[in-house]
Amino acid sequence: MRNLLFKEMHLSASILSYLFILFGFMFLLPGYPVLCSVFFVTLGIFQSFQSAREANDIVFSVFLPVAKKDVVKGKYLFVFIIEGCGLLLMAFCVILRMTVFSASPVYLSNSLMNANLFALGLAFFIFGLFNLIFVGGFFKTTYNFGRPFVTYIITAFLVILVAETLHHIPGLQALNAFGTDSFGLQSVLFAAGVISFVLMSGLSCAKACECFEKIDL
Amino acid sequence: MEIVQVKNLTKKYPAFELSDVSFSLSSGRITGFVGRNGAGKTTTIKSMLNMVHPDRGEISFFGKPVSENEQEIKKRTGYSTGTVSWYPRKKISMIVDTVKRFYDTWNDETCRKYFSLFGIDDRKTPLELSEGMKVKLNLALALSHRAEVLILDEPTSGLDPFSRNELLDVFSLLKQEGTAVFFSTHIVSDLEKCADDIIYISKGKIFAALPKEEFVCRYSREGESLEDTILRLEGGAFHA
Repeated sequence: MRNLLFKEMHLSASILSYLFILFGFMFLLPGYPVLCSVFFVTLGIFQSFQSAREANDIVFSVFLPVAKKDVVKGKYLFVFIIEGCGLLLMAFCVILRMTVFSASPVYLSNSLMNANLFALGLAFFIFGLFNLIFVGGFFKTTYNFGRPFVTYIITAFLVILVAETLHHIPGLQALNAFGTDSFGLQSVLFAAGVISFVLMSGLSCAKACECFEKIDL
Repeated sequence: MEIVQVKNLTKKYPAFELSDVSFSLSSGRITGFVGRNGAGKTTTIKSMLNMVHPDRGEISFFGKPVSENEQEIKKRTGYSTGTVSWYPRKKISMIVDTVKRFYDTWNDETCRKYFSLFGIDDRKTPLELSEGMKVKLNLALALSHRAEVLILDEPTSGLDPFSRNELLDVFSLLKQEGTAVFFSTHIVSDLEKCADDIIYISKGKIFAALPKEEFVCRYSREGESLEDTILRLEGGAFHA
């Protein structure tokens, strides 16, 4: 698997996958829908799938002395690493906003969603959706990724829209907590996001291995 | 020694059927797999490489079924396609550095030897190589991990006559080293130049799988070239 990951990172990956990780810092922007940063990170990963397809990466990988399912797992591992790096930056920004900048007027007067644990949980959720809809969809054919990506975009922006709306509903203001306010609720929502990511990604990877084994290349 | 066996390979598509394809390959022999475009050559090769799932049939390398020993078989086998290039904008040195990690049997010295023999500059990218050089690059990669069988899908397609001759000479060199070379082609003169065995496929069925001399004895008319023989046979099959 280490060799496949090396291949993913050195041959298959687009440089944009690495550069777009930096969009994780958008969690620091006030007055901006912070969850869009998740979309930009996934857009970078999409670029790798695009350049890999142009370079006949899947067929090349199948020729290597590895099991077919490991080709799929290698691709997922690469995706997880990029997502993990993006999430680390986002977590760093959330910690800053919960501690050092917890009383900052720029953030307190922000009418859009606050970058808190709930937002970070939603970032996990959207990454999970990307893995389920786009990456899983890609492995149904290994060449047709337009429909899965458009489906993912629509779903992701619906989630962002709902997330940006929720805290304006009376009784749900705790979703937009600042600092360590409503820490218990925020932690539960964060954990729910992480669990959904694990479930969606695991399901997607298992299904993709199954599909890839069956398709004729 | 027989090292590859294909038995009763069958694959149905809506408009085409590969039907009961059977043949074997031996070490130290060059086998030409000839047939017109769309005869089923690539489907057969893809089935051998486990890229296409046959409806029926058995494929074994070194006495082991492909489906259960894919990794081990791939380590001992080299593949190349004449028309596809991998990672066109990556440095060849980077491709080599990646590929070698997958093979315990990789030999850097052998790799350098074939790069030098074929005139491949590893500072270039595949995009900067001619079609013939791309085939040679794939061959050099396969040979650097000491592949015992080379499976080549139309390696001479798109090559000029000089490059084709050079490549066929390379096959003869590999044969002397004991490598089994299996290459598909629709250019019959390639077979005349270097093949020991001929497998002729027409409309998804194996018409003949014989040593070249026996093929000529059985099917050629007096004074007829191998190309003329196959054209005549194909004409018959086409009008049948």
